[in-house]
Amino acid sequence: MNDTQSQSDDLGYIDYAAILGVDDDARPGDVRNVYKKRMRELVRDISEATMTEAKRSHFLLEMAKLNAALYLLRDRELRDAYCAARAHLIELERDWRESVEQGGADSEDLRREYDRLLRDFLSRYVEELMLTAGTDPECLESSGWDAAHARHAAPLLRRYRHTLQLQIIARLPYFEVTPPRVDWPEREAWVNRMISEGAR
Amino acid sequence: MARRRAKNLQPTPSDPSVIAEAIAKAVVDGDVVNFRQIFGGLSPARPDTVETLADPKYSYLLPSSTQKQTPDFQTALRAVRSPDTWKHIEGELAAKRPPQLPSELLLSLGDHAVAQGKYTSAAQAYEVLRVRKDIQSRFFEAGRAALGERDATRSVAAYLIGLGLGYDYAAFPEPMPMVPEFPRRALILHAEAPRRPEDVIPFREPEVFLRLAIEYLLGEPDHADEICEAPMETRVAFFAELVRQRDPEWDAFVKRFAEAAALEKEWNDRLREMMAGDQNLRMYSQDIAEQLGEDPRRVPEILLGRAIPNGEWWQYLKELAYQHPPAALFVSRRMLGRVEFIAPRLRLDNPALAPIGLDATARLLAEKPPAAASTAQ
Repeated sequence: MNDTQSQSDDLGYIDYAAILGVDDDARPGDVRNVYKKRMRELVRDISEATMTEAKRSHFLLEMAKLNAALYLLRDRELRDAYCAARAHLIELERDWRESVEQGGADSEDLRREYDRLLRDFLSRYVEELMLTAGTDPECLESSGWDAAHARHAAPLLRRYRHTLQLQIIARLPYFEVTPPRVDWPEREAWVNRMISEGAR
Repeated sequence: MARRRAKNLQPTPSDPSVIAEAIAKAVVDGDVVNFRQIFGGLSPARPDTVETLADPKYSYLLPSSTQKQTPDFQTALRAVRSPDTWKHIEGELAAKRPPQLPSELLLSLGDHAVAQGKYTSAAQAYEVLRVRKDIQSRFFEAGRAALGERDATRSVAAYLIGLGLGYDYAAFPEPMPMVPEFPRRALILHAEAPRRPEDVIPFREPEVFLRLAIEYLLGEPDHADEICEAPMETRVAFFAELVRQRDPEWDAFVKRFAEAAALEKEWNDRLREMMAGDQNLRMYSQDIAEQLGEDPRRVPEILLGRAIPNGEWWQYLKELAYQHPPAALFVSRRMLGRVEFIAPRLRLDNPALAPIGLDATARLLAEKPPAAASTAQ
């Protein structure tokens, strides 16, 4: 189960409309209806599953995502702020990439701004939003989210946030190091040497 | 109070050859912290700083005369001084922004760290190069291949290095390298006091025990699953090798384990005699313990090799798990009177015991006591 795979081509910038399966401008009533249907299906899947640690984590994350999607998309103000932040981040990423490709003098400033906004976006719209949605009465009623869920979800959401961040960083220009050149066949020979010499 | 006059300090650039040696030392030592420090904002290697590498307080960054003669150091120094790399280094040390580290040196640093078992340092180096997962997966692939060839030594080595390069993305506030954390996990393993024999970990069916033991010693369940799909013989060989690689001092523990087991068996035999001879004693376990006249903490003291003043069972368990990680798999919690302590436990028919030297102790524990003489009331 790969919780980091994008629901659509969201570039790692979590897209709650795609997660819920509604249009970007869906009405609050439609958002609620789709949420309830999706949550019923998820609860049914949970009850039918043979639970393992990995499945528990997966289901918990799916529940948190649906709750966050409802909480955000049913409120016009919240939704508009989220969409604006997301669009700005995508644009800033593009500007930074272009500046690096063209050797622009402002690439370091753009990178810092982008890094700051990316951390803020992921923190606010992944971890914080999902935990806040877990206290919302409408979400509680449908999902049965409680203190135990929140306790288990906290490290899970932190891991999910960092994994999304890494997914994004993986495609960005190198800045902390010069681009590495790795000879992978040679690396495999090195792996065999390390194993033969033994682990400590 | 008189005001202190500020010193008129001028930047004192360090000698470039000393800077090169400091960088080469960090590479050869596999020390990512010192490597980053040399390029950092407050580094004594920067030309605009009043600090200098010649200052004795930075001697830890510089190689000894012995280290300078080693082939690894000479190779690293040549790499540092290669024209393109040195030009980049000079530029980064002079720039007034976060440095861009030279990737070829960082990759070499990571490799040296792996060779020396400094997996957290290697993980950090590879992570910033964005190659950590790929390198880690190659170790796991090699581990699986060696498992298929029934080569337990290579398989365990591969899995341990791969796991050593793991990263904990749930760590707060920033992701950090994964570490085994045996004291914490041993406590989780023994969180509930056993009420029935099947609750005691060492008494479980060999297949169940091996699955749990391999997961505990590896530190995660996914690879334990794939290892436990191998034939039993391979699993046992893998487990035995894993015990010895996780605990190079295992044989010393085995001796103390045998001593602690013999002592506890002697107590158990005496308790059975007392209970056989006195109907009233059978009713009150507290009285039995007091009649025994021994301090139950003597057993965990022997297991650990030292006493913890007023030590509770969990203190002994944590210390034991730190010194000998696999030891937590062969003890269980026990009450004697009012004292709870950890005691040695083994299952005689567990095939995993013989390769790790615990079979003789298992036979001792399984021996029946000599028949008690009849006592007149």
